[in-house]
Amino acid sequence: MRRPVLIALAISCLIGSASAHAQIWPLRRYGSAPAKGATAIPANPQASFVATAGTDTLYFARRGITLSSNMFPTLSAQARWLIANPTMTARIEGYADQQDTRSYALAIGEERAAAVRDFLVLHGVAPDRLKVVSWGKEHPGAVPLAIAAPVGARVVTVVGDSGGPPLLGRR
Amino acid sequence: MLRLSLLAGAALASTAQTQIASPPNPDSATATVIAVPVLATSKNVETPSGTTWAVANQMTDVISDDLRSTTRFIVADVKNLRIPSYPEVTAPTYSEWTGVGAKALLTGFVEARPDGRLMIGCYVYDVRQQHELARAGFLVAPADWRRAAHKCADVAYSGVTGNGAMFDSRVAFVAQSGPATAPVKRIAVMDLDGTNLTYVTTGNTLAITPRWSPRTRRLAYTSFEGGEPHVVVVDLASDKEQSLLPGGTSFAPAFAPDGQSLVLSVAVNGNTDIYAVNADGSGLRRLTTSPAIDTEAEFSPDGKQIVFSSDRSGSQQLYVMNADGTGQRRISFGPGEYGAPAWSEDGKRIAFTNINGGSMRIGTMNVDGTDQDILTSGPYDSQPTWGPSSDHVMFERKNFATGHTSLFITAVDRPDPHPVATPQDGSDPSWIGREQ
Repeated sequence: MRRPVLIALAISCLIGSASAHAQIWPLRRYGSAPAKGATAIPANPQASFVATAGTDTLYFARRGITLSSNMFPTLSAQARWLIANPTMTARIEGYADQQDTRSYALAIGEERAAAVRDFLVLHGVAPDRLKVVSWGKEHPGAVPLAIAAPVGARVVTVVGDSGGPPLLGRR
Repeated sequence: MLRLSLLAGAALASTAQTQIASPPNPDSATATVIAVPVLATSKNVETPSGTTWAVANQMTDVISDDLRSTTRFIVADVKNLRIPSYPEVTAPTYSEWTGVGAKALLTGFVEARPDGRLMIGCYVYDVRQQHELARAGFLVAPADWRRAAHKCADVAYSGVTGNGAMFDSRVAFVAQSGPATAPVKRIAVMDLDGTNLTYVTTGNTLAITPRWSPRTRRLAYTSFEGGEPHVVVVDLASDKEQSLLPGGTSFAPAFAPDGQSLVLSVAVNGNTDIYAVNADGSGLRRLTTSPAIDTEAEFSPDGKQIVFSSDRSGSQQLYVMNADGTGQRRISFGPGEYGAPAWSEDGKRIAFTNINGGSMRIGTMNVDGTDQDILTSGPYDSQPTWGPSSDHVMFERKNFATGHTSLFITAVDRPDPHPVATPQDGSDPSWIGREQ
């Protein structure tokens, strides 16, 4: 029993380090204690999400905006997790490369995140549980070692507890 | 003395005026050696900003620093020469200045007036031809002496190069601090020389892409407050902010030259298009409809056309359209991709970021896409903005070895990229001349 817990902890640490902007948009990622009798809410939703889907991050080719077939198993598993955890919402964050001009980066990040959102909706997740947001190239994540390192083009799906007022408003 | 009194009388009518007395100096293709002796003062009078003599000395330093900051000028060493007398401001002894190799001479005076203001006059001469190139007079509060110095430097800059003013200008930019993985980005504004710096946003919320309104009264920028990027317009005098299009994703704002409207990018269901909107947020109208990305719109200085970037062809390229969205046409056809366009103040050229071969570089082209000229070597130069004189662009340069991003400036005809002083990392500049 101890080993899976350690793995989950390790994964949550990784996620913690990848998320650069909790202070900008606090999201109650780790949820509150599950209410008795309700559907069990994972103690650490993001770790549970990653354990089911394999990853919360999908990498795109430079200037890529379409989902490739090797993303489908991950995305299908992400959709299954969201369907199995109906109180959870997801913020789908689009990112761009450092080599994109600044506003174009926002636009392409938005387009990538919307592609992931559309897949999840197509696979049964209610659209009002999903929020798309683009960070463009403002949060580079891991600092690239070289200018051409394409670590920027990605979509990160962050899940959280939607108990209380809905997190997802405007979209 | 006759000239001097005429100038003083004329300057009373308006706070500032410049007249170019002769065509541009034919030697303007190379750096001009200019002598800038200490400005004269007829009577040393105490003012709230120090004595007129002290103000004259400080102004002379600012003027020299301004001119030295471009490759157009070499400021001659005149510290061993005698300081010109008050009458010599308008009647220079030319032979003294040829002795230090000067081709141009800037003289001036600082005079306290009974109403508490300073009368400041500046004169620029061609030393070899022995005639006046330009002059200007300014009536300013003593605290505004620094701005008057920038204007004097502009008299020399315009008089010698024949181009527009450069130094009496403001820069809005993104000041960045904190670790690269979690940067704090806030909007700041400053004079071109780095003085008078103030922060427009607090740093609690990510803020990017500042753009001036004409006459530097307002600033539009993209705020991430609440989680989604959206365009905010802030009035700098009152600090009043308005979210232009609440409830949606909008970014990349740019004011029309008349300040009455803006263009910006709006993302709907993942697709970004260019819209125009009145400066109060009313009258939203769509200008592009392509299913590809259309963004980074900027007006021509006459307000009749808009340059923008789009990947509708499969790669990001530059396009020009009429201000109502009609007549869209591609203008960039060189190697690689193009983004972040900016239209020069004189309307003749468009600066851009070219992304090619793993490198980002700054270039300029004619508005029809011809005569492309790459100015910088990269590998990470982006977000160009023109200076008011249309002969310099400022841009951001990232140093991948240090991780720092800085503002740089370069002449466009003979590129000489050099850093612009900012207190922290700087990116995404918007550069504009101050109103007269």
